[in-house]
Amino acid sequence: MIVGMPEPTTIESSLPTHSKIAAGETRLPALRRIALSPSLALALTIGIFVLYGLTQTSSFASGAVWINIVRDASFTAIIASFEAIVIIGGGLDLSVGSVFAAGAMVSAALANQGLSPLIAFAGGTMAGAGVGLVNGLIVNYFSIPAIIVTLGTMFGVSSLVVHFSQGQPIAPLPSSFSYIGQNDLFGVPYIIYVAVVIAVIAYLLLHATTLGWNIRALGANREAARSSGIRVRALSISLYVYCGAAAAFAGALEAARLGAGSPDFGTGLELTVIAAAIIGGTSIYGGLRTIPGAALGSLLLSVLATGLILLNIDPTLQDLATGIVLILAAGLDQVRRRQMFRTSARRARAAENP
Amino acid sequence: MLASSEIDIKVPSSLPPVLEVTNGWKSFGHVDALRDVSLSAYPGETLAILGDNGAGKSTLVKVLAGVHNLDAGELRINGRTVDRTSPLLARRQGISTVFQDLAVIETLDIAANMFLGQQIRRGWIFANRRRMFTEAAESLAALGVRVPSVRAQLGELSGGQRQGVAIARAVREDNPIVLMDEPTAALGVRETAHVGKIIRELKRRGKCVILVSHDLEFVFEFSDRLLVLRLGRVQGLRSTGSANQQEVVAMITGLAGDYEAKG
Repeated sequence: MIVGMPEPTTIESSLPTHSKIAAGETRLPALRRIALSPSLALALTIGIFVLYGLTQTSSFASGAVWINIVRDASFTAIIASFEAIVIIGGGLDLSVGSVFAAGAMVSAALANQGLSPLIAFAGGTMAGAGVGLVNGLIVNYFSIPAIIVTLGTMFGVSSLVVHFSQGQPIAPLPSSFSYIGQNDLFGVPYIIYVAVVIAVIAYLLLHATTLGWNIRALGANREAARSSGIRVRALSISLYVYCGAAAAFAGALEAARLGAGSPDFGTGLELTVIAAAIIGGTSIYGGLRTIPGAALGSLLLSVLATGLILLNIDPTLQDLATGIVLILAAGLDQVRRRQMFRTSARRARAAENP
Repeated sequence: MLASSEIDIKVPSSLPPVLEVTNGWKSFGHVDALRDVSLSAYPGETLAILGDNGAGKSTLVKVLAGVHNLDAGELRINGRTVDRTSPLLARRQGISTVFQDLAVIETLDIAANMFLGQQIRRGWIFANRRRMFTEAAESLAALGVRVPSVRAQLGELSGGQRQGVAIARAVREDNPIVLMDEPTAALGVRETAHVGKIIRELKRRGKCVILVSHDLEFVFEFSDRLLVLRLGRVQGLRSTGSANQQEVVAMITGLAGDYEAKG
């Protein structure tokens, strides 16, 4: 054995003590974290827009208007919650608009055959999960980029929906099926409760379960996740399945609300959903999480859509507003990442050289 | 057929080997990355694996870490033959690996990284963050790795701190074999010495440390035996105490060794 360095009996005895690996310290100063959080920026944006709206027209104060805004946002939010999870896991799902229509049509067809609402909803949702499974399998076993695969299934599913329906809507639907889409509890539509429950489930999945940590690891560094023993393929496939199921379920809910299923449901919805997730602070680079953001993003888009109409602004300009908000949100994500690493790199150096 | 000269190599332990590769082969397309490689490693020793670029070190690491399976030959851990493997299985069977790229996630905090793929659960599916924070802090403290907080994101840390986290993760798994791939490549002098101390401590606890490194000085200071690979073959095996640095360099470059390449 080479001499020159005394053989320590234990590591502890040979090293300077380091009393301060606190388990409870927070990452960034709390105020700064809140200031940089995309949810706060979103809430402020919505608040400012609404305040401005209130000065212009009293319609902004109407409860019925707000019920409509939130109900519209609910559909986007249900899907955006799980789209966000796919993106956080390093993927992307462009097929949600088509799957939304497929879910609506399958469940409408089942309900129209006189099957119970439960079976109709389950059937539609399963169809979406099936499309998600196909997406996940192709992405993970053939290494084709998710953006291409899901663009392909978007076209494919849309085509199948039109083919099987002959382009015709399915109606009428039994009132037992439509019940959940058309009725209120304490003046608030069931749809909104359903969306809240689903967003909370997505939130818990991502923030509180071990699965959520694996998803974030998968999205941030797939190779490292694999080396650490996470079954990355199975995990990634499951995210597409959840997302497909969520999109189809939302479609079934839309069919229940309108009392009919139509093959042109969900046109362009995938872009709204992805925009909502990104506006909500989901980083397109994967890894960073936020489900409340995705829900707030959905709300912002819905507020803008209705608000611009109330303000008598040409509704064709609505997409311009969406576009600007989207780019601003992505810019905020960049700033946030840089800030996060800069602040803490300083603290890491301080801990190393006390 | 190569015959490793066993003359000057004392087996460091009376215990049976904890890790054995017998006549291992691994090819990628037309390239034979490992050709008839055999090695044994024992509890309480540090076996260094040396070699130039393309010698087969990385492939051997990946085989041991469970990323690749051998095409032919046998891998035995604790006397049990391993047929098919994965990183997860390798870890369960007794090998903890500190990868060269560390296999850490920059956007997750230190505790999440330490428990990546093996989190502590609370109830059925929930992550027990509190216990992970506490245990991560304890593991790091025991190895003398200083970090601002176990809630700090890994992306914030210096190279030495990251290496410390990756090593602490492997040590915490308490497996009989710890495989370290280039653990000092990104480190300064002080951190390198620290890693050396950790290696000695692991040996003292009876672990088998496999140390893959370019750093001859480090290998000579902290290993017990060294195995030189060249062009996918075992070029030689020496006891570090009696080895001569010039000879080892000559083996790495192919100018000396037990195996003479033909053409």
